[in-house]
Amino acid sequence: MPLRIAIDTGGTFTDVVAINDQTGEQWAVKTPSTPDDPSIGLLTGMRKAADRAGFPESDINQLLHGSTTATNAVLEHKFEGLGLLVTHGFRHIIEIARQSVPDGYGNSYFWVKPPRLVPLHLVQEVPGRIDFQGKEIEPLDEDTLIKAAEKLVSRGVKCIGVCLLHSYANDEHEKRVGQILIDRFPDIFISLSSVVLPEYREYERAMTTLIDVMVKPYCKTYLRHAEDQLRAQAGDAPFLIMQSNGGVVSAEAAGQKPVTMLLSGPAAGVLGATYMSNLAGHKDVLTLDVGGTSTDVSLVEDLNPQLTTHSLIEHYPVKTPMLDIATVGTGGGSLAWIDDYGNLKVGPKSAGADPGPICYSRGGKKPTVTDAALVLGRLPNALVGGELALDIDGARSAFADLGSSFNISAEEAAAGVFEIAAANQVNGIRQVSVLKGRDPGLYALVAFGGAGGLFAAEVADFLNITTVLSPPNPGNLSAFGLHVSDIKRDYIRTIVRRQTSSNHAELLKVWSDLESLGREEISREGVEEKAIESHYSADMRYVGEGHEVPVKVPQGLSKEDAVLYIWDEFHNVHEKTFGFQYRDQQDVELVNLRVQAVGRAHRPEVSKINNTSDKLEIDSLRQVFWRDHGWLECPIYKRADFPTGYKVEGPAIFEEYGSTVVVPQKWLVFKDEFGNLILERIS
Amino acid sequence: MVFDAKATIGPVELEVIAGTVRSAELEIEAAVERTSRSPMIRDQHDYRVALFDARGRKLTGRSYSALVEPIFEYFGEENINEGDVFFWNDPYNSCGGIGHIPDLCTTIPIFYEKRLIGFSQVFGHHDDVGGAVPGSMPVKATDMWTEGLVVPPIKLYERGNINKAAYEIIARNSRLSEHLKGDIDAEIGAARLGLNRITEMAERYGVDALEAAFDMIIENCTRTIREELLPKIKDGVYHWEDYIECDGVEAPKLHAMRLTMTKTPDGILLDFSGTDPEAKGPINWPIDYADGKFARKWMAPVLRSLASSPDRAAEIDMNEGVLDVIDVKFPEKGTLVTPTFGKPTGLRFFILLRSLGIFAACLSKATGGQMPADHETIRIWGLHGGKNAEDFFLFREVLGGGGPGRPWADGSDVVHIVPNSRNLPAEFSEQRYPVQVEKLGLAIDSGGAGYRRGGFGYDKRIRLLEDARLLSNADRALLNTYGVNGGKAGKTYGIEIQHKSGNEETVPGMADNIEVSSGSIVHIVTTGGGGWGDALNRETGMVCYDVECGLVSLEAAKNQYGVVLKDTEKGYVVDEQKTQALRARLRNERGKLPMFDRGQYFNKISESEGIKWPDGWIDPDVDWDAETGVSEDEATAV
Repeated sequence: MPLRIAIDTGGTFTDVVAINDQTGEQWAVKTPSTPDDPSIGLLTGMRKAADRAGFPESDINQLLHGSTTATNAVLEHKFEGLGLLVTHGFRHIIEIARQSVPDGYGNSYFWVKPPRLVPLHLVQEVPGRIDFQGKEIEPLDEDTLIKAAEKLVSRGVKCIGVCLLHSYANDEHEKRVGQILIDRFPDIFISLSSVVLPEYREYERAMTTLIDVMVKPYCKTYLRHAEDQLRAQAGDAPFLIMQSNGGVVSAEAAGQKPVTMLLSGPAAGVLGATYMSNLAGHKDVLTLDVGGTSTDVSLVEDLNPQLTTHSLIEHYPVKTPMLDIATVGTGGGSLAWIDDYGNLKVGPKSAGADPGPICYSRGGKKPTVTDAALVLGRLPNALVGGELALDIDGARSAFADLGSSFNISAEEAAAGVFEIAAANQVNGIRQVSVLKGRDPGLYALVAFGGAGGLFAAEVADFLNITTVLSPPNPGNLSAFGLHVSDIKRDYIRTIVRRQTSSNHAELLKVWSDLESLGREEISREGVEEKAIESHYSADMRYVGEGHEVPVKVPQGLSKEDAVLYIWDEFHNVHEKTFGFQYRDQQDVELVNLRVQAVGRAHRPEVSKINNTSDKLEIDSLRQVFWRDHGWLECPIYKRADFPTGYKVEGPAIFEEYGSTVVVPQKWLVFKDEFGNLILERIS
Repeated sequence: MVFDAKATIGPVELEVIAGTVRSAELEIEAAVERTSRSPMIRDQHDYRVALFDARGRKLTGRSYSALVEPIFEYFGEENINEGDVFFWNDPYNSCGGIGHIPDLCTTIPIFYEKRLIGFSQVFGHHDDVGGAVPGSMPVKATDMWTEGLVVPPIKLYERGNINKAAYEIIARNSRLSEHLKGDIDAEIGAARLGLNRITEMAERYGVDALEAAFDMIIENCTRTIREELLPKIKDGVYHWEDYIECDGVEAPKLHAMRLTMTKTPDGILLDFSGTDPEAKGPINWPIDYADGKFARKWMAPVLRSLASSPDRAAEIDMNEGVLDVIDVKFPEKGTLVTPTFGKPTGLRFFILLRSLGIFAACLSKATGGQMPADHETIRIWGLHGGKNAEDFFLFREVLGGGGPGRPWADGSDVVHIVPNSRNLPAEFSEQRYPVQVEKLGLAIDSGGAGYRRGGFGYDKRIRLLEDARLLSNADRALLNTYGVNGGKAGKTYGIEIQHKSGNEETVPGMADNIEVSSGSIVHIVTTGGGGWGDALNRETGMVCYDVECGLVSLEAAKNQYGVVLKDTEKGYVVDEQKTQALRARLRNERGKLPMFDRGQYFNKISESEGIKWPDGWIDPDVDWDAETGVSEDEATAV
């Protein structure tokens, strides 16, 4: 049973990559997504891929799945019937939020607080109080609880989030609430904050818990559908789901804490990019995933994609650890338009998949970035291996119109739109680099997604980046990334202790507890005990600071040594993050202890390319327009023909099924033995 | 827009440069927050950043900023060199750009190929710059020198070389000198990011294109105001006033800030003549310098509330371009906005925010009441205690209040005018300080009633677990936030202590060192926003829902909104018949609805002692009625 299938479900299309576990051979297929019940598209994709590979479905030994459907469902406000139970005195917790108003000074005059996830009449209080050390100071009032829950259910609530004060320190009240709710209302979905996120800060914990319970019915249902049918076809092959932390877990585990699936859409692409850049010898990279409507960027340091616990979904905080990915509203389908004051703009409005760019001839009338690429000669006259003929005249005439508003030619307008799109992506990259104190010029840029290779070198020029990577099959890198993921779960407990008064044994115990929980859950995924790793880390700050920095413990250190290590290492991390430290001057405070449990998954081999020919045939010549040089005759190559060890100087264009890589002047390109195209700037 | 009029700049360069300036503003802000040390900057976000062109014209537009003019005034253009870092905090020698001493301002010039092409600037509120009390904001200050170390514009670095003596003197005068040094270094480092971004653009497109783009960025702002916002304001002369209720030194009395707004087709003149004399205490605000550029740029963003939607308002950048539309005139020396040299300014944030309120009120008059009502103000309260120096704690919160009711929405609840300023989670406060938060809620009935009511303020109850002393630094404890266009005033700020002994004590807005013993409860209520529009026109279902949620009392629903509710098994239900009858009666009884409602305290003073207006100034509220869309005839006919 050698076939591993990875299915990446996007808003419009589902990408599938199947890999023969024994030979490393890969097959890719595409099928439309089915957002109402994503299991339909998922199973269609699975079947198609097995067919393409020439294996029966019973030969599938693993199914991996990443999806944007849960996130999209949240963004489309598909959910209702949500209720919240909180501690007495805190009914207004989500109305108050954190009082902060985004953006500029004085925006509070006109800014309108977005609607709360749960309307206030569906928030009820429960008397009972635990203090921050976990001591009960007032018992839980069960009668009031039952009345409150009955009130919610009578008003149509189907999903209840429970967030009681200090439940991270002592979950007894919450557990009791959970038990009473299950006993009385077996059909109601419930999430307890002490299970979803046992971390202090009541508002953020409540929101994370609410979002978890909100998507539970949707995620559980479609995952169960998919799993049932998978079982019918492929027996007990593991069915693994991508989470936003960059790891996978079983569908069953994912359904129990679905908040970890949200915003996971772009995560697999980052894993794929990291994997391929490692093969190419680059450990510090920026990833640039250019899709139809937007571009996702992230920063990878020493092969570790950066994690954040400050994500927002729409306006609402989600505090579970996620890959730190910034999204810019500029992609291939982004529209070029003129605002009321005559300024040229690109995005965030998009032609989407329907009607799409003008050149796709599906009824699109407005010029897009893809149309600009065609006008400039960056794209061939037909896409996807010749299947889709492109309407270059339509695109040209739209840019001639656009240009006439500024007295410039169609190609100048197209080149300008291209430059603005690249500049928008550059600003996105600065969000994950400069804003975090990193210099993007020190990283290599890995460009993927259908349109990544069109922009990468231009984006790199803006940022003084000198190396660009285009991995093989860049349009399918997200699906490929699922294949190189590990099983991962994150565990956290808030335990606020100062260094001067902390108890070594107490911290060890918390780490041990989290670790055993992790080992138990990961081994339930079928991972052998010895293949499970525990990564310890802590969130810490100087006493008096309002936010924490994560301190990671290196692998190989025992828990005992790790406790000593974090108190010392904290100062270094603080210095690196903020540029200063107070070693021996200020007391340090531990806030959270974390464990990430990792089950190392078997990874498929990437087959090496064996083409060291010293010849490269030019496939064709095409006029290509550059802002600085005007029209130049440019050699077009088939990417597949490009031998390893052979260097080509730009301008040059490399084409393949589903993607195009542009090599401008002052850039060299070669292919490594893993099929990566590597562009280097000639200084 | 005709681009060929300016041959040096095309639409692409403009869009990329404008986008880069915007992105650079965010990058500088992130760097300030990441690398500075004062909690006021890191957590309360009390800092501002800006990029300017070579003439000192502000290019960035998300927030207000200080000015570059002091550099030209003090040093002259010929003495600005690559590698210089300019530095100051002197409220009387910063051309009005720096209002109080804790705000340290750092500016670096940007050069490209030896040519000055701009400036990058950061100022932030530092925790301690010396003076009479820790935190450098003494409520009882009667001169500037009590408030901390004053630095006129200096070069902290000259051509890359630090002025070590100045640096050490500044640091030594702070109780937290290491923090202060760190903050200054952070400001310089952050400002450099702006420098890098601007020189990169010069490199890519050339200095001529860059400067042409700067012109266009500024011009676009002017055009946006002219074409989108000004046409909504009726030409004419409007005046209004509002007050600070206490200066911290003298007994409470009304300190009036007065504004006459003259709107013409081309622009707006803001005249502060008639404003009351300077105060003894620290509520003065010296802005009568450099043609009032600071005040003009500070006040202009109020106009954004006239945009077609809140989303559009958030998009409108307010940069140097506002100067072409807004002019300003000041009274003679010696008033609250033209204080004589050396008067204290530490708590100038009251008047700073009042200026926005009186401008908004003048605009309400000129737009048929289409502006938001009164906004919450800045306030700080706290507890400090501990048995000894080691044990000392200071629990200080900048709590928000209710936002203003406005034509498009109710006021947002518990917001703060400083962007991204956050409250303290109860779970944090309880870990850190000897307190137990018994309630963190919205204050019932605090938002002014209206067709769109004001946002609610906080209702916070804290039990002390140790003895402590309480401080409060707030106004609007006596005077209410005003309501507009028939909307009612919002409720005031207040602190009450329920002492363990059983006594109750009401704390004045400006107070320090009030003893509170362990076991007592401190009860804080912050201001609600002013209401907008006629409360009797509010949709009955919305009133019912607010009552159902416990945000509006049954009594207020009846008296303020004229809504009669029935308590049923399924919750409250509107009694439509009784409601209609009650609303008709209330309409008849009340007569004309005024444009502004300033609330009870003001009405009491106005009735008892009266308000004393300067010569030639008349009551700004009289003869201004709400434009509620319901005529008197209709109202009585019901």
